[in-house]
Amino acid sequence: MRPKRAAVWVACVCVAQFVFGAADAAEHVISLNLCTDQMLVLLAPEKIAALSPLSRDPALSFVAPQAEQLPVVRASAEAVLRLHPDLIIAAPYGAQTTLALLQQEHVPVLRIALAQDFAGIRQMTRLLASTLGVPQRGETLLIAMDALLEALPHPGHGVRALVWEPRGLTAGPGTLMDAVLHAAGMTNASDGSRISLEALLRHPPELLVVPTAAAYPSLATSLLDHPALASLPRRAIPPALTICAGPFSAAAAAMLAR
Amino acid sequence: MTLWLALLLAILAALSLLIGDATLALPDGLIFWQLRVPRMLLGLLVGGGLGLSGAVLQGALRNPLADPGLLGITGTAGLGAVIAFYWGLGVAFPPALLVGGLLGAGVGSAFLLGFAGRAPSGPSLILAGVAVSAIAAALLALALTLAPNPFALAEITFWLMGGLADRPLWQVALAAPAILLGGAILVSLGRGLDALSLGEETARSLGVPVARTLRLAAVGTAFAAGAGAAVAGSIGFVGLVVPHLLRPWFGERPGALLPAAPLAGAALLLAADMLVRIAPLVLPLSAAPPVGVLTALLGAPFLVAVARRGAP
Amino acid sequence: MIGVSHLSATLGGRIVLHDVSLEVAPGEMVALCGPNGAGKSTLLRALAGLLPEIGPPEPCRVAWLPQGARSAWGLTVEQVATLGRIPHRDQAVAPVTRALQLCGIEALRCARVDRISGGEARRAMLARTFATEPEVFLLDEPTADLDPAASHEIMRLLRTTADAGRMVVIVLHALDLALRYADRVVVMADGRVTADLPAEQALPAAAAAFGLPFGTDPAARLLPKC
Repeated sequence: MRPKRAAVWVACVCVAQFVFGAADAAEHVISLNLCTDQMLVLLAPEKIAALSPLSRDPALSFVAPQAEQLPVVRASAEAVLRLHPDLIIAAPYGAQTTLALLQQEHVPVLRIALAQDFAGIRQMTRLLASTLGVPQRGETLLIAMDALLEALPHPGHGVRALVWEPRGLTAGPGTLMDAVLHAAGMTNASDGSRISLEALLRHPPELLVVPTAAAYPSLATSLLDHPALASLPRRAIPPALTICAGPFSAAAAAMLAR
Repeated sequence: MTLWLALLLAILAALSLLIGDATLALPDGLIFWQLRVPRMLLGLLVGGGLGLSGAVLQGALRNPLADPGLLGITGTAGLGAVIAFYWGLGVAFPPALLVGGLLGAGVGSAFLLGFAGRAPSGPSLILAGVAVSAIAAALLALALTLAPNPFALAEITFWLMGGLADRPLWQVALAAPAILLGGAILVSLGRGLDALSLGEETARSLGVPVARTLRLAAVGTAFAAGAGAAVAGSIGFVGLVVPHLLRPWFGERPGALLPAAPLAGAALLLAADMLVRIAPLVLPLSAAPPVGVLTALLGAPFLVAVARRGAP
Repeated sequence: MIGVSHLSATLGGRIVLHDVSLEVAPGEMVALCGPNGAGKSTLLRALAGLLPEIGPPEPCRVAWLPQGARSAWGLTVEQVATLGRIPHRDQAVAPVTRALQLCGIEALRCARVDRISGGEARRAMLARTFATEPEVFLLDEPTADLDPAASHEIMRLLRTTADAGRMVVIVLHALDLALRYADRVVVMADGRVTADLPAEQALPAAAAAFGLPFGTDPAARLLPKC
């Protein structure tokens, strides 16, 4: 429950492995991670050489409709090099070997840490917008986000809510969903640990925040339909709004505050 | 002796209702009826079905290593259930999960007993079962990899190791008639299994319909063990261990084991389930391990001991 | 009466019985003799109703004991004998006890068949057939594991049983026992009946079936002087 601390953390981790050849902004950008895909589509769709395949999954990606019209590439060095990108954007972890190979070929790689609160979102958006040479668009997105956030009730005696994900994972302090809950004027009933169904029922929150139902079942997602939970008030948020942080995270807060 | 076993089972069932994850107390109504009671009932039904199938399979195949898990029947049941569940067939038609499990178990059972007819010797039968089990597990992993829901593959431990937790009461109610039907079929085979002790031809000369007895053993096992596996995953070794635990008390006549086998199987599974629920309190575990882990850890050395005793 | 008439049977594509006829009347003990592979066990199976060409079995009336009969489990002697009551769908104690006494194994009734000697286990298996109280006994090598004294004891038992009006058909390798105790000896070779003679006349034919020259037949030396 310390957004300032999270922002500092984001700032420290944010700049990693930054290689810039020229001072010009990139024109052929490839994103290899779902979260950076979405930011790229929002900020500079005309500069996209390719996105990761997950960007087209409507269950996971906020920008799925736009991504349908854009090229996608798997995170293999060969496929990526064939597109002659002048910048690659990726998350801090993952695709290690691919990115190492690309760096060997002197392709600039930018690793962006995933933001965990709204201050982090602002930082990440500005960094990315300036790297892509479109700082104004970044500001436009953030102005819209802040406007949405202003309209929401401020933290006070908020509803005690719990974000409960399949397999008992909860969103504890310092996570994105924690920031979203606070933005919606609620308090977070979780301390970050996993809780079982029985533990949940023993100390039920006032509101259960769950992902919207998946198109196809799994044991984890169908657990959310257990009859024991029927009497607990719940709000469902599409995973596309909660998996990655971005200006659209304010929409998640708005859905909760309604 | 059977009465003592029933008493033990009643005590274990009552204890099971008191143990939650990380607590030992009587819970409130909702938790009790929606979580503890289904878990206890499932343990009774699945454990009973496994114990009885194990006793019948060992008698029918004249093999002390026979077990519905080892012979691949719970594996094929799990495969059928996975295909029905993860592709959403259960959404429109809730019993699809059970039907998938029963069909899968039926295939495994039929293959096994067909094979047993041609090569009834002990080791080759077990090898055939192991092959079926391995194929079923591989196809299960493949199915989970291809499943549309991204959480599917991580759930492979549930299907291969089993679990009684968080199954809603309606699923238990769905499986119950199938397991009880299978149990009724299996329990009626006592006379035939006794005659089979002397070999299939001698059993026929005693007037026992051997082919029908084996077929009923296959069908009964498919229902009793397969329905359980569809809801609780593939819990192994209960069917193997139960007859061996009972023989010192009840003698080696296969028919004598049948009334006690479901009681012993249920007691064994409930005890194992309670132990895995208590485990996080005494060991540095973040969550209770699947119950099949415990039955495998105890059952596999048992299997080795039995196999060595029988080896020339 | 029990018998087969002009029976031919195949097993796995091979002809094992060729136009075999045999009839046994109450009070008769018939010995089936001949070399290995002659079809004796198959004929016994046919009489038991176990061949697809002839069937079904008559479990209350006919008791069949195969060669090398074993139990898959460590049953007690008494439990094995009680299996003989399966056709009657009861567990009547009296016939079982009588069967155990007749076969001389009552003292071991609580012993496990896998923990007694081969001969004792063979007696337990035989007791199972007696527990059924059948009209017909079809026995394949019942004296195989028994020492000579025990063999004669069992043969005397079977003789008494036949004399009491039962039918006994017995496959024997021991020609001396066959010639001594049986009423008739049926000699088989290559799936055919080569001779069906009263016991006292059967020796030459039996010796011939084994390829032994008559007169120097070692079995003759074993015949006790009656």
